[in-house]
Amino acid sequence: MKPLHYLTLVLLILALVIAFVPQNTTRPYKLTAEQLLAEIRTGTQFVSPDEVADKIIQKDPSIQLIDVRNPREFEMFSLPGAVNIPLQDILSEGNTDVLNQGTKMNILYSNGSTEANEAWLLTRQLGYQNNYVLQGGLNYWMETILSPSKPGGVISNDEIARYDFRKAASMALGGGDVHASAAAPAASSAAPKPGVVPVKKKKKASGGC
Amino acid sequence: MGPLAVNDIISSNTNFFLAFVIGIGFGFVLEQCGFSSSRKLAGLFYGYDMVVLKVFFTGGVTAMLGLLFFSLFGWVDLNLVYVNPTFLTSAIVGGLVMGFGFIMGGFCPGTSFCGAAIGKIDAMIFIVGLFIGVYFFAFGYPMFETLYKSANMGSPKISTMLDLSDGVFALILVVVALGMFYAAEWVEKKFPREEY
Repeated sequence: MKPLHYLTLVLLILALVIAFVPQNTTRPYKLTAEQLLAEIRTGTQFVSPDEVADKIIQKDPSIQLIDVRNPREFEMFSLPGAVNIPLQDILSEGNTDVLNQGTKMNILYSNGSTEANEAWLLTRQLGYQNNYVLQGGLNYWMETILSPSKPGGVISNDEIARYDFRKAASMALGGGDVHASAAAPAASSAAPKPGVVPVKKKKKASGGC
Repeated sequence: MGPLAVNDIISSNTNFFLAFVIGIGFGFVLEQCGFSSSRKLAGLFYGYDMVVLKVFFTGGVTAMLGLLFFSLFGWVDLNLVYVNPTFLTSAIVGGLVMGFGFIMGGFCPGTSFCGAAIGKIDAMIFIVGLFIGVYFFAFGYPMFETLYKSANMGSPKISTMLDLSDGVFALILVVVALGMFYAAEWVEKKFPREEY
């Protein structure tokens, strides 16, 4: 056999293999420090409480609330439909399916926004898309949604509309008598049962022989 | 996980050292392939010797497959591999200038240094010409600037343009390269030249 035939054989086999294996898309490192800084500065990761409340009330199936506080706090109070992924478990294998997917919009929240932001940073650094942070966290949620204060003084129509929406949202989400000062108020009976961390594992592509 | 220098796995000094070693290796291989002879390179244009085409295409295809497999095994992150940006106009004009220089001088920049290293006078003259060209371009840069910078396309990949996966495009390119190798063999038989 001539050298050219050997070369043909080897190159063709290798090329056939590479053409039919799926591309390796796992990367241990996605963003440079500059890129991350740019994202943080524009604040694109934040979702306002009003937007989230609207989506919850409309039972929007495209959102997934993720509570990054500890399980004890989660038991006491959580947003409807939220799953609990404590910050320290954010890297564990079982949560990858929830955090790294392209269909749902994950909204991370904690009491303030620090922990949620930390979780968001980690997921960004892992290259996951679709993760967002509830602006101001639960504390701000209490203030704005569950017990909205009537805007005073000269107010625009927009503000009135927002207040009305918040009042309505507060009613729908079982707020009203909850005080803003309560960091982790007892779960109100009107709030739906907190969701359970899904154990569902996305089926791995099962390859036949 | 590579690229080694980008991910700070090796220092820039080590990087320079490796470049030095690889450069020597490259020169050695060029010399061993006979590229230090200007007849070899001119042969490509007259059809009696297609070694240049075969060597460079084998090199390109091997590197392509190697990188794709490294990426598959998670050894290298292709997103971090530096790709020269494409400036279409200057690539075409530069390609033509390079091609004419190639056929007139019988060397490309790399092989001219190989030739000079083994004492070929024509290669040394070629290097002198090369430096004249370099100075001409450098000092005349304001003249060429618009042309040089026009049609910037970033770092496009043909596979993305054709909407193919990198692997499928690699397969196509390998088939094309192999087709060219067999065509080259045929051309060499068609235009034989005994002694050079």
